[in-house]
Amino acid sequence: MLKVLLKKQLSEVFKGYFFDAKKNKMRSKASIAAYFLLFIVLMVGMLGGMFTMLALSLCDGLASVGMGWLYFLLMGGLAILLGAFGSVFNSYSGLYLAKDNDLLLSLPIPVRTIMTARLMNVYLMGLMYSATVLIPTLVVYWIAAGATVSNVLCGILFFLIVTIIILLLSCLLGWVVARISLKLKNRSFITVLISLLFLGAYYFFYFKANDYIRDMLLNAEIYGEKIKGAAYGLYLFGRIGEGDWMAAGIFAAMLAVLSALLWRAMSRSFLRIATAGGAASKVRYVEKRAKERSPFGALLSKEFARFTSSATYMLNCGLGILFLPIAGIMLLIKGKEFFGVLDQVFSARPDGAAVLLCAVFFMMLAMVDVAAPSVSLEGKSIWIPQSLPVEPKTVLRAKLSVQLILSVVAMLVAALCAAIVLPMRAELRVMLVAVSLAGAVFASVFNLFVGVKMPVLTWTNEMTPIKQSGAVAISLFGEWGVAVLLGGLYFLIGYKLGAMPYLLIWTVLLLAVSFGLLRWLDTKGSRSFAAL
Amino acid sequence: MLNIQHLTKTYGEKKAVDDLTLEIRPGEIFGFIGHNGAGKSTTLKSVAGILQFDQGTITIDGKNILTDPVACKKDLAYIPDNPDLYEFMSGIKYLNFIGDIFGIPAAQRQERIRKYADLFELTGDLAQPISAYSHGMKQKLALISAWIHDPKLIVMDEPFVGLDPKASHLLKEMMREHCDRGGAIFFSTHVLEVAEKLCDKVAIIKQGRLVKVGTMEEVKGDASLEAVFLELEAE
Repeated sequence: MLKVLLKKQLSEVFKGYFFDAKKNKMRSKASIAAYFLLFIVLMVGMLGGMFTMLALSLCDGLASVGMGWLYFLLMGGLAILLGAFGSVFNSYSGLYLAKDNDLLLSLPIPVRTIMTARLMNVYLMGLMYSATVLIPTLVVYWIAAGATVSNVLCGILFFLIVTIIILLLSCLLGWVVARISLKLKNRSFITVLISLLFLGAYYFFYFKANDYIRDMLLNAEIYGEKIKGAAYGLYLFGRIGEGDWMAAGIFAAMLAVLSALLWRAMSRSFLRIATAGGAASKVRYVEKRAKERSPFGALLSKEFARFTSSATYMLNCGLGILFLPIAGIMLLIKGKEFFGVLDQVFSARPDGAAVLLCAVFFMMLAMVDVAAPSVSLEGKSIWIPQSLPVEPKTVLRAKLSVQLILSVVAMLVAALCAAIVLPMRAELRVMLVAVSLAGAVFASVFNLFVGVKMPVLTWTNEMTPIKQSGAVAISLFGEWGVAVLLGGLYFLIGYKLGAMPYLLIWTVLLLAVSFGLLRWLDTKGSRSFAAL
Repeated sequence: MLNIQHLTKTYGEKKAVDDLTLEIRPGEIFGFIGHNGAGKSTTLKSVAGILQFDQGTITIDGKNILTDPVACKKDLAYIPDNPDLYEFMSGIKYLNFIGDIFGIPAAQRQERIRKYADLFELTGDLAQPISAYSHGMKQKLALISAWIHDPKLIVMDEPFVGLDPKASHLLKEMMREHCDRGGAIFFSTHVLEVAEKLCDKVAIIKQGRLVKVGTMEEVKGDASLEAVFLELEAE
C-alpha cells in the first residue's frame, strides 16, 4: 500500500519528466534521460559546486589539526538549515494540504500509511537538498583525511542521521505552522512574514559566514574546547563523521526516541488538521457596490489574488521582489565603498564592477518567477479562462503583467539606487538602469514562455507546479545562466568593446528576444494555452 | 441558437464524438443523455469552446465557435460537471470577476447577485473563500455566475449533481424561465425523470453517435424515457 502511495506521489513530482502534457503521451526514453540528466547537472553542478567549494575551504584546516568533528558539525548544521528551515512551509502543505486527502481517507488505507507516505515525500525533498551539502562534505573529507572502513561507514551513518534530523525538524515546524494556521485569518501573509524572519536570520549568518569561518579556522582549538565543554552533544554529532561508532549509536538511539514521540504527536492531530477545510472563522458578507473593471483588469486582479493567496507561491516565486530593493538600499548605504573595492579588484577590466553589478541584479531577478507556474496553477480550473469570452492572449498577458509589474518595480528601485550612489559616468548610469529593466522584461516573458511550454495541470498539491516543476527549474537556472553570461562574457571579451556598447548590446538583445517570445506567446503560445 | 453540424472529436484513435449533428432553437430546453463515456461532456466542452474538435462546425446564434470564439462565448455560459472554481477567491469576488469579464454594469450586477444568491440561500456565505464551500455550494455559485450575465445559451454538464432538493427545484424553474425569455439550454443528465419532465427536446448519444433526437414525444412516444434509453443501450 505504502509503495503504491509513494509511487503516486513521486510520479506527480516527476510527471513532467515522463509525460509530455502537450502531446498527451509518454516521453521517449532518451528524452526522459535528458530531463533527469539536466536536473542532476543543475542540482549537482550549481548547489553541489557551491558547497564543494565551502567544504574544500574548511576541511583541510580543521581535519589537519584533528578537528574533523568541527568540520562535520558545521557542514551538518548547514545541511540541516538548508533541508529543514528552507522548506518548513512546504512541509506543512505537503503533509496536510494535499488535495487528495479526502479521496485517500475514504479508501481502505490506514491513516498511518497515508501519513508515512506524506512523510516519505518530505524526507525525499529534504534528502534532495541536504545531499547537495552532505555528499561534497563526505567526499572532500574522505579525500583529505583518508577513507577508512570506519569513517566511510560512519560517514554514511552521519548522512542518514542528518536527513532524519531534517525530517524531524521539518515535521515539527510543519506541525507547529499547521496548528497556528488553523487559528489565523491572513495566514498567507503571516506565513510569509515568519518565513522571511527565518530567511533573514539565514542570510544574516550566510553573509557573516566568511568572517565566522576565518575566525573559526584561526581559533579552532579554543572554539572546539568551548563546544566540547558547553554542548557535548554537538561534539558527539561531529564525531560521527570522523568514524566514532559510539557517537553514531547514541545519536541513532536518540533519534529513534524522538521520531517515536513526534509520530505519536502527529498521528493524534493528523486527521483533524488534514480535514480542517481551511476556514478559520466565518466572514460575514456585507453588500458593497462593486468596482467595474475591464476584462484585462479583472484577469490581472485575479492573478494578483492567486499570488498573494499562497505563502508557498510568494516565498518560492517572489523573493527577488524583496531582495532587489534591499540590495538597492544596501547600495545606498555601503555602495560607494563596495564599488570602490570592486573597481580596484577589476582594474584590468574598466567598468567591470558596473557590469558585475548588473549580473548580480540578474541573479536576484531569477528569484522572481511568478509567471513560470502561473499556467500550471490554473489546474482543474482551466475551464474558466477557456470558456470565458476573452482571448487566450489576454489571459496570458495578465499572467505576464503580474511578474512584469512586480519585477520591473523591484528592479527599478535597485537600479536607481545603484545609479544614484555609485561613482560612474552619467551614460553608464543610464545604461545600468536600461539593461536592468530589459532583464526584468526578458525574465517575465521567458518565465511565461517556459510555463506555457511545460504545463502541469494535474496536481494535488500546489507545491508541484510552484516548486517541483520543470518550468520553475528552467526559469531559475536559465536566468542564472543569463546572469553568468552577462558577467562572464564581459570579463572574457566584452571589456574590449567597453561597458557602454557591451551593455547596450545586451539591452537590445534582451529586448529583441523578449519581443520574439512575446510574439510567440500571442500566437502559438495562445493556441497552446487554449488547447490545454 | 445552437447549431452543431457533423461534429467529430477524436482522442488518440478513439472517436469520442462521431459525426454529431443537432440544432437547438431559442426557447428550448435540450437534454443530452448517454451512458458514461458516450461523448456528452466532449460535445458540451466543444460547444463551450474549451475543446478543439477535428471536424464539423458549431455556431452559436449564427457565429462560429472556431472563427469567432470570443463573440460566441459572450452569448453563452458553461458549467462543468465538477465545479472547480478559483478556490483562492471568495464567492463575491468570483462573481464580480465574472461580472467584469462580461462587462455587466455594477448596479445591474449587484441586483442580479442579490437576486440569485438570495434564491440559492448563498448570500451569507458570499464573503467566505470558495475553498471553504461544500460541493453543493460551489455548484450554486457556478449557477449564479452563469445566470448573472444573462447569456442566450446555457450549457451545463450534470447541473443537478450535488444540489439539495430545494436548489434542484429552483434550478428547474430558472431553466424554464430562461427559455421562456427566449434563451436556450443544452444540458446533460443521468436523471431521466428530470429530463422527461423538463426538456422540450432530447438527444441520446451512444459511443459518440447520436442514436435518437427529437421532441420528448417523438423520442419516447408512449413509453418512459428510461425505457427508451435502456432499449437503445441494449441494441
